[in-house]
Amino acid sequence: MKIDRTLTWVFGAFFALAIIFGTATAQAEKTLTVLTWNIPYFQDGFTKWVTDFNKIHPDIKIERLDKKGTEWSTFYQTQVVAGTAPDIIDVQGGLWLEYAAKGGLVDLTSYLKRDQDYTKRIYPEILKGWVYDGRNYGVPLYISKTLLFYNKLMFKEAGLTEPPKSFDELLEYARKMSKGEKSGFMTLNFDWLYWPLLAMNGVELLTPDLKKAAFNTPKTVEVLEALAKATQEGAINKISWTGRWVEPNGAFAAGTIGMLHAHAPAFLWFKSKAPWVNEDTVGATHIPGGWSTPNSHSMLISKSCKYPDAAWDFVKIATSGEGAYALGVGTNNLTGDKIVNEQLFEYFTKNIPAVVPVLKTQLEYLDKLCGNWPAAKDAEIKEAFYPELQSALLGQKSAKAALADAEKKVNRVLRKR
Amino acid sequence: MQLIKKKRTRELLLIWFFIAPSLAIFTLYRIVPLLWNGVLSLQFWSPYKLPEFAKLYHYEEMLFYDDAFWQALWNTIILMASAPIGIALALFIAVLVDTQVRGRNIYRTIVFMSYPVMTVAVGIIWQWLYNEKVGLINYVLISLGIIDRGIPFLESFDLALPCVIVASIWQVIGFYMIILLSGLQNIPPSLYESAAIDGATAWMRFQRITLPLLKPSIFLCFVIGIINSFTNFDLVYVMTQGGPGHATDLLITYIYTVAFKLSKFDYAAAMTIVNFLFFLGLALLANKAAGGEAGAIDVGK
Repeated sequence: MKIDRTLTWVFGAFFALAIIFGTATAQAEKTLTVLTWNIPYFQDGFTKWVTDFNKIHPDIKIERLDKKGTEWSTFYQTQVVAGTAPDIIDVQGGLWLEYAAKGGLVDLTSYLKRDQDYTKRIYPEILKGWVYDGRNYGVPLYISKTLLFYNKLMFKEAGLTEPPKSFDELLEYARKMSKGEKSGFMTLNFDWLYWPLLAMNGVELLTPDLKKAAFNTPKTVEVLEALAKATQEGAINKISWTGRWVEPNGAFAAGTIGMLHAHAPAFLWFKSKAPWVNEDTVGATHIPGGWSTPNSHSMLISKSCKYPDAAWDFVKIATSGEGAYALGVGTNNLTGDKIVNEQLFEYFTKNIPAVVPVLKTQLEYLDKLCGNWPAAKDAEIKEAFYPELQSALLGQKSAKAALADAEKKVNRVLRKR
Repeated sequence: MQLIKKKRTRELLLIWFFIAPSLAIFTLYRIVPLLWNGVLSLQFWSPYKLPEFAKLYHYEEMLFYDDAFWQALWNTIILMASAPIGIALALFIAVLVDTQVRGRNIYRTIVFMSYPVMTVAVGIIWQWLYNEKVGLINYVLISLGIIDRGIPFLESFDLALPCVIVASIWQVIGFYMIILLSGLQNIPPSLYESAAIDGATAWMRFQRITLPLLKPSIFLCFVIGIINSFTNFDLVYVMTQGGPGHATDLLITYIYTVAFKLSKFDYAAAMTIVNFLFFLGLALLANKAAGGEAGAIDVGK
């Protein structure tokens, strides 16, 4: 009995001390948490970022988390709700808009104005992609936008010699290459990546003040009807409107798709699955008109970050100079830093020449970026618009009816609080 | 008398003592979130701002303006209503493999094999089977001359949900079969023998003996089917992500979309409450069907 009591006291004292000292240690340590987006293999470069950062902030520890694209948003949001949001985040596409609009991100405008040496290195057209309500919330970590990959073998088989130059030609070529299990055209559809197909026909999603839907026009009806017809005929593969990443890129890798409208990272993905892919068999060019939808990754700082100045220093290290170069080499991407990209092209030409034509497209036509509206309700608009578009493209509704329904829904999203 | 009362009190205390940890966890992880969810559904809530009282705004939005919610609810009901198809098939297979057929253990194993497969894998397998261009189903149908062009099963607004239901039934049918098979094996053979002597046909024996005595097993399968229809998130997410449009969205997938893709936690909370009430109604009905005593504890009278 006495032994029991003594043991209880010993354990009790031990736990009490552990709690007191544990808390004290945690409080004494300054930490910044960095959440990256599906680059767990990027280890050496990240270590370099941390080493460089600790040269100027030796008292701050960097902790890293990495999440796959499918779980990133869920993870970040639950962390925000729990009050433990990662301090620095690497975000893809337009997800950040919602956070910025709700006041969840640090406004980086003043930092960008102050650090002109840094800002001058970044492409202004790309930097503009993270402006909401006149304030800049992010800087490019690595850049990507859509382009047209084409299967040269299927082109040859169909008697085609060069990529299409207009929307009509795109559909005509797609029809020529469709036969049996083969489809002429496929596009990725998430994050507005299909929008260049509409942009090249002059379709606008919203009015310039972003307050009303602007897409319900006779021209859009015509374009949708053409796309729906090509889809029903099999010239456009139906997975274009339902698949996400693996299905469309996997289909292109299987050699059964004539043209794939996707963003640059798709290239190394399908190349890794398809030994037949090389410069002689796959071409990379712009979709007619040069339109493209960016899907770059940016670095942003959560509003709850206790050390925003230090976080900004980390962001600068990761997105420019040697840090950006390490990222480019480590992930085979271009960065937002103009000077670094010149070095990266030298590196890719020497080491992965096949990717060079793809990456070249990423720095061209930067004045023709589309599908990138700084609307706070980006995700909700997408959710209201896309299912209706899908119903027209897959033959469930007429283009006219689908656009009318989409207009009603989008306007309601824009009107309500 | 006092001794009996004292003993009963002691027994009750002991019961409470044993269930207290589970009850505490259940309260913390189920009851409190549910209550918090109810509060959230009446607010305009964002992790970045102070909450505002929203009255019934989200419920009004859901019931009167959100077509996708109704579609998801309807799909959930359809999936739930499909449970008897799976049970009937499982019963058919169970009766078959319960006979003295040669290699019956192999058949049982083959049928059961789908159940332990991860739902994500099931989704991927069926996604490829249904593929319009390279899917096995279309290949077979074209080879047999039944169709001349592949059917876009999962890209069709009309076929996508039935296709998901088929995959869902395929996955769970082995489990149903095991439950029903154990029920079948508990039926005394003497009942069949005496019925046969009395001149009952095979169908009559099935109708008058097998079915009534299998009622508890069938009921269990039905409950599992209903629960599956509410929680079948992963299969839908992998196969169709709720699309095309919202053709395969279930309440659970739509709630996920609203909460985590649209960041509308308050609205998702309102939908969760409706989902909960719907499920509660079904549970009460099921309890009534089971005689109203499901889960009751007999502490001795």
